[in-house]
Amino acid sequence: MSFSLLSQILVFLALIFTVFAFGRKLKIYAQLARPVDRAKPKGDLQKGVLYAYTLGMAPWSKESTRLHALAYLRGVAFHVGIFLGLAILVASPWLGEMPQYVRNILGFVIAAGALLGLLGFVARFLEHNLKALSNADDYFAVLIVGLFLAAEALWLFFPAARVLFYLVSAAMLVYAPLGKIRHCIYFAYSRLFYGRFIGSRAVLPHSQQNAR
Amino acid sequence: MTTTKIDIALNLLNQQLNQPLTAALEVCARCGICAEACHYYVAEPKVEHIPAARAESLRKVYRSEHDLLSRLFPSWTGAERLTEEKLAEWADIAFNKCTLCYRCTINCPMGLDTPLLMTSLRAIATATGNAPEVLEMLADAAIEKGKDPEIYLGFYKESIKDMEVELQELTGNPDASIPLQKQGAKKLYVALAGAHTILPVAAIFETVGEDWTLSIFEAANYGIFLGDASRAKAIARRIVDEAKSLGVEEIVISECGHAYYVMRWVAPNWFGDEFTFRVRSIVEVLAEYVQDGKLKLDPSANSEPITYHDSCNLGRKGGILAEPRVVLQAVTNDFRELTPNREEAYCCGGGAGLVALPEAYDLRMMAGKPKADQVKRSGAQVVVAACENCRLQLGDLSGYYGLGIGVTALTDLVVKAMRLPGNQKTVEHIMTLETANSGEHDNAEVWGSTDLVSLPSTKGDRSEPKSNV
Ligand code: SF4
Ligand code: SF4
Repeated sequence: MSFSLLSQILVFLALIFTVFAFGRKLKIYAQLARPVDRAKPKGDLQKGVLYAYTLGMAPWSKESTRLHALAYLRGVAFHVGIFLGLAILVASPWLGEMPQYVRNILGFVIAAGALLGLLGFVARFLEHNLKALSNADDYFAVLIVGLFLAAEALWLFFPAARVLFYLVSAAMLVYAPLGKIRHCIYFAYSRLFYGRFIGSRAVLPHSQQNAR
Repeated sequence: MTTTKIDIALNLLNQQLNQPLTAALEVCARCGICAEACHYYVAEPKVEHIPAARAESLRKVYRSEHDLLSRLFPSWTGAERLTEEKLAEWADIAFNKCTLCYRCTINCPMGLDTPLLMTSLRAIATATGNAPEVLEMLADAAIEKGKDPEIYLGFYKESIKDMEVELQELTGNPDASIPLQKQGAKKLYVALAGAHTILPVAAIFETVGEDWTLSIFEAANYGIFLGDASRAKAIARRIVDEAKSLGVEEIVISECGHAYYVMRWVAPNWFGDEFTFRVRSIVEVLAEYVQDGKLKLDPSANSEPITYHDSCNLGRKGGILAEPRVVLQAVTNDFRELTPNREEAYCCGGGAGLVALPEAYDLRMMAGKPKADQVKRSGAQVVVAACENCRLQLGDLSGYYGLGIGVTALTDLVVKAMRLPGNQKTVEHIMTLETANSGEHDNAEVWGSTDLVSLPSTKGDRSEPKSNV
């Protein structure tokens, strides 16, 4: 069996493991109680949820992201890169026939994501608060995802790097449900609860409106 | 096998693990951008004051219990087993180092509910005997009083009778009264201990011809500070039963942040279908009166520069953001906002029961520094807060940082702007009372007392204790 085929099988198995592991986590999570809020809303629940997922994520919407605009935008761009990178990984068996100039464009985008990940990794070492908050898992998570993006970019530029790309991807996929990367599956829930809170209580996006 | 405190704590943590709590435990990216959201950090930029660092103390234990990787390689994820020392650390974090202000949540890109985690820690601290005694004592006293209100009722009615005389002087209406236990009244007004939360509201209700009755209980609920649902529910139950038996349409809560928060947002989940009435803060009712033109107000009556402090429980956690401003615009010509304000306002630093803990004085003076700085920058001479807790803290901050400000309730300003016949004397007394709360003192006494925050009598002598039962 060739290395290439082996790496393909490996990444496929890793993908199945990840989907299964995340699926299981979500299933367990769904079985937990979700408190029903019986207090009569003051504001609009849906508006709050919509805001939480949209404008509430805008860099100007919160003091924290205004103060840390660069770090925040870096993080957002990194995560956009990750999702694009995952989509490309899943589609990779069918991307072989793509013209090289398209691969190059995607490669630059993914490489930018990798660079931003790397910057995040360095920031954790250098920034006092970040360093104090971080554990080994935090460093490794950003490193492995950054490496995944870097390997993918390399493969997009140089199709011959497929084996390396798949091996790194497999490692990242296996680690994802085990370590800090799994926070991604709780993001939507956390924003949902937040949106319901601020919406039902007419805190946001209502706060500048009149009393009635 | 004996059950240890550790067992109790871990069992309780497991029982509490619902979807919101689990999401809050799992979703943190440890990005650290919530640091400046916390007034403790702004006052003293230390890692331990970053909201995520506080929550990490709980997460470390959660991971050691619930995460495979952490069980295999604890040092990799920073997982830690729960110890008695850690329990003590949790109590300190939850009761002293977090005022449950929700400011970190609105600033977190994940919307992470750190106060929910801190409430969980409070519950654990209470269950393991690590909660502040003062809070337990105050909660238990309120529950005891609720068991047999008849014991206190006679005395309370006497106090109200005295207060009615003051009300008649203030309004110039010899028939003005403070109705108690009035069957079928529209509004049940629940005050705090002390005439200062009854008399101004009674004057306003009297003027607009409101159909109301005064609750025989006080609004404060120390059970909620303890994270103890059963005690908080028992305290709220007294008011719910009273509202039901009188058949009122709505409960109106005095200018008190946490009392409003409990009755408006938490209690409906405890009482379900029994909750047939609506709950509003007196601030919302005042705004309605102003908008409906029911109150004749003279804004020149409050000539000093005035600013407004958004109580976290009313504002960021309750959505009462526009209403106080509607009222303020009507009662003064010189209203200036603090910056930041509304949902971005800083906590006063004394919230979630901290103001009642005598040993926390230095801590809350430190934590209140951002608020003190804001007030100073505004140039205001009077700070309005629609929360007793905040007013006590602001008064202390004024003394500590030499702000020289007056601290007052919204209703007091309204009464002043109503220019009632007995106005001048009464309002001066109210303002004297509010500004008297400066310097180091035992706010637990103020909170828990039945007479310390009584309005000084308009006759020149101090009123009799004006206690709600
Ligand atoms: S901002 Fe939110 S995600 Fe970031 S460290 Fe703070 S709590 Fe965690
Ligand atoms: S709830 Fe308020 S006091 Fe508590 S950690 Fe968050 S910002 Fe700080």
